[in-house]
Amino acid sequence: MLSGRGLVKRYGTQYALAGVDIDIQPGEAVAIVGPSGSGKTSLLHVLGGIIRAEEGEIFLAGQRIDQFSEKKRSELRRTEFGFVFQQGMLVAELTAEENVALPMLLGGTNRKDALGAAREWLTRLGLGGRGGSRPGELSGGQAQRVAIARALTHRPKVIFADEPTGALDTRTGKETMDALLVAAADAGASVLIVTHDRELADSLPRTVIIRDGRISATGVGAIA
Amino acid sequence: MNPVRLAFRVLRVDRRTRTSTILTAVGVAIATGLVLLLVSLPFATKARAERSNWQQLEPSSHGASTMLVRMGTDYTGGKEITRLDVSSTVDTVALPPGVPSFPKPGEVLVSPALFERMHALPASQLADRFPGKVVGTLDDRALKYPDQLVALVGHTPETMPDNATPVSGFGTADRAEVDPLLALLAGVGVVVLVVPSLVLVASSSRLTAARRERRLAALRLAGATPGQVTGIVAAETGVAAVAGAVLGLAVSPLLHWLATFVSWGGGTWLPTDFRLPVWLTALLVVAMPVLVLLAAVLGLRRVVRDPIGAASAHTPKPLHAWRLLALPVAGGFFFYVVSDKSGSNVGTVLLGLLMVIGAAVVVGPWITFAVGRIFVERWRKPAGLLAGRRLLDDPRGAYRASAGVVLAVFIGSMALTLMPSFEGLAGGGGTYRDSVLTVNTSTERAHEIAAQTNERLARYGQQARATELYSVMLSSVNGSQVNAYVVPCERAVELFRVDLACAAGPAVYGPGDLSGYRVSSGFEKAAVPLAPGIPTRPFRPLDSDVSVQAVVDLAAVPPGIEPKYVNVAVSTAGSDPEVVRTALAASGEGVYSRDVYLTRQLTQLADLRRVTVIGLVAAAVLAGCSAAIATAGSVLDRRRTFGALMAAGTPVRVLSRALRAEAALPALAATIGAGVAGMLVGLGLFSMVKTSGEAASAVLTPWLLAPVVLGLGVAVLAASVCTPALNRVRAEPLADE
Repeated sequence: MLSGRGLVKRYGTQYALAGVDIDIQPGEAVAIVGPSGSGKTSLLHVLGGIIRAEEGEIFLAGQRIDQFSEKKRSELRRTEFGFVFQQGMLVAELTAEENVALPMLLGGTNRKDALGAAREWLTRLGLGGRGGSRPGELSGGQAQRVAIARALTHRPKVIFADEPTGALDTRTGKETMDALLVAAADAGASVLIVTHDRELADSLPRTVIIRDGRISATGVGAIA
Repeated sequence: MNPVRLAFRVLRVDRRTRTSTILTAVGVAIATGLVLLLVSLPFATKARAERSNWQQLEPSSHGASTMLVRMGTDYTGGKEITRLDVSSTVDTVALPPGVPSFPKPGEVLVSPALFERMHALPASQLADRFPGKVVGTLDDRALKYPDQLVALVGHTPETMPDNATPVSGFGTADRAEVDPLLALLAGVGVVVLVVPSLVLVASSSRLTAARRERRLAALRLAGATPGQVTGIVAAETGVAAVAGAVLGLAVSPLLHWLATFVSWGGGTWLPTDFRLPVWLTALLVVAMPVLVLLAAVLGLRRVVRDPIGAASAHTPKPLHAWRLLALPVAGGFFFYVVSDKSGSNVGTVLLGLLMVIGAAVVVGPWITFAVGRIFVERWRKPAGLLAGRRLLDDPRGAYRASAGVVLAVFIGSMALTLMPSFEGLAGGGGTYRDSVLTVNTSTERAHEIAAQTNERLARYGQQARATELYSVMLSSVNGSQVNAYVVPCERAVELFRVDLACAAGPAVYGPGDLSGYRVSSGFEKAAVPLAPGIPTRPFRPLDSDVSVQAVVDLAAVPPGIEPKYVNVAVSTAGSDPEVVRTALAASGEGVYSRDVYLTRQLTQLADLRRVTVIGLVAAAVLAGCSAAIATAGSVLDRRRTFGALMAAGTPVRVLSRALRAEAALPALAATIGAGVAGMLVGLGLFSMVKTSGEAASAVLTPWLLAPVVLGLGVAVLAASVCTPALNRVRAEPLADE
């Protein structure tokens, strides 16, 4: 489904990724764990096409995507991928349903359909009554669920989540992750989650450990 | 915690703070430089007046008469010559600075520019107008401006022109006055150029506002007192403001030097004209940073009052519609001031103008808010949604981006209302055709002047000939009176701005029926009937402002009537106008011509147009810079949000479009409002300038739309700076700031 081969990413003389190979199967949920500065986020960003690797190849459904132009990579991110960030990164001025509808609107969906789909996803994620609220009026868990709805609303093939529960308490974090994984499974999307949360990683079917820009271990469930 | 050290540390480590500081300093420097220039304008006009006040008559009521003076104005090649015919009646006359000696009879002193011109042209075109020998030149200290044309012609009391006046001496510098028009324009300039400069300063300092607010909130939460936080902001802003003020002071000589090339009142300036008193310079240079510091410290209220709220997102409060009241209040005051016939002074009018501009600052954000609300309700594209929400969320910030443009549009509309209206006022003085030169003289000298002029014209080989014009009064039985020129009909056709068909034999010509009118030599003189059988014939004025009321053939004037009010007139048609002028001016009397009168008006209009264009270009550039900086700040404020949107695949062009819409939408509404307000204020100012007797009305042209369209263009163009800013974000969308 999504594969990376020999991925190398440098920041100055520092290697963030020093030759990473990784494969994500359709519908699979994978946790990427590792110490701070090990290259987790860089791997997520390289696979998601947000930044380019200096070396290596990336394939999505057999098609090489790392050589795509910026325009095409943007389109790919908008249509095939969904992103959930630690802080939610919602547009502060927009309401929850407008934030969720935004990717569809940017893709050309009309206002009525986009807002209708946004409301539907917010309801599925337990935020039926908060569609008119602005991010500043939501709790951390609610804001993160809005971000999850935004990542899923255009039915992506792969969801990239970077520390999605990092700013949440344990209970809220678990509820948020459950919501993400259930919604992704319903949509048939693969999920790639970068996390420090060992408990969260252990709950996923596969975990990849990365150290000093290299994958040091990979396995099913708790492997550390 | 040393606030200054902390400010320098932030400056050292934070690139964006450095950028903001540099831009703020540049804004303060521009504002300081402009204020120093504009405030110096009244001083500059006074310096001019002080140098040239000796060219004015000083009535002998101020002391014993020491000389006879006749002050006249002449023209050469469309340029004004100030001519003083003088004759001393005492041994020694006190001389003004720059005048080397008092000219004896037969001697002439001229300015260097006139000297040059006299030698460049044939004597018949200029030099012959000044009887005598040029014995010296006047230096800069005696001239209004370096290129001024001045002649000081010495006479005996006997050869002095008719209407010479006994005076106590040359006018003195202490009686010099400021040019009221330029003083008014300088005041308007301070308002219209300094406000955009301050908007530029505000936009620059807002570049880091969000981040600084977070930093200060963190300091407050860590235990910093309001005083300490205020100290830090004062230090951070003070670095930029003081540096800017010093820079402004340093560049002000350059601005003053550039200003010397801007012609006003017929000539340019001396660099020393723009010199300000030291105390005033010091006051202005200190006041600018203090104002900027005050504004920065006042902006801290939220952080000081509620540091946690400042650090987190907040829900915007809707703006109240009461803000709209500011406009009728300010407008009412302004129109009251300009319509007050008891005499409003310039300061009150400027206060009214300032209030109108202040009202725009109060009303503008509400208009922005209202536009945002409309877009949020009716958006169809994501750009409309993003822009509408942004406007609704921070209408003050969004308006700030277009505030400078709005002000420039306001001024532009005001100027475009005033300029064509002023041009509509120009003209008038319509007795003679443009090609006719005249002198006013006494009945006794008229014949001599005409004869001498004709002799000179013949000598110069010119066909033109002088005509003596007298006038009589025609009175109807019901008491209405008209002034009639006594001149042969065929000469009247040549001289006056009327369409006149001469008939054989003596007649009276007028625009209406003049039959039954009686003739007198003046207003209160005995009137006698016109000779029987004298026909009255119609003529048609060539323009609405023609002041010729009637023409009477000399043969139609009844015996015993002695005509008064004599002019000697020459038509230059078919001759060299400069030579004809020389022939007439050699009489020593002031030569008048309508084209020169119009030239003077056009010079004033050109002056006005020139300073208006300079002011508008400066305001537009400042406004464009403010809008560009505000837009860049808007991207930087939301860098993380935009980064996330780009990471999720949002194309830069969509975000660019949204940001451009964000700038253009409030600019559109506000510029239309500013255009209308500018036009109304222009009409108000015009009603002040227009004297009650003038029938001319304001001229409104389609060009009034130009500032609105240009303002909108500048706003959108400035907003396009968001694209490079967004491209920088795209390079590393999720990087920390």
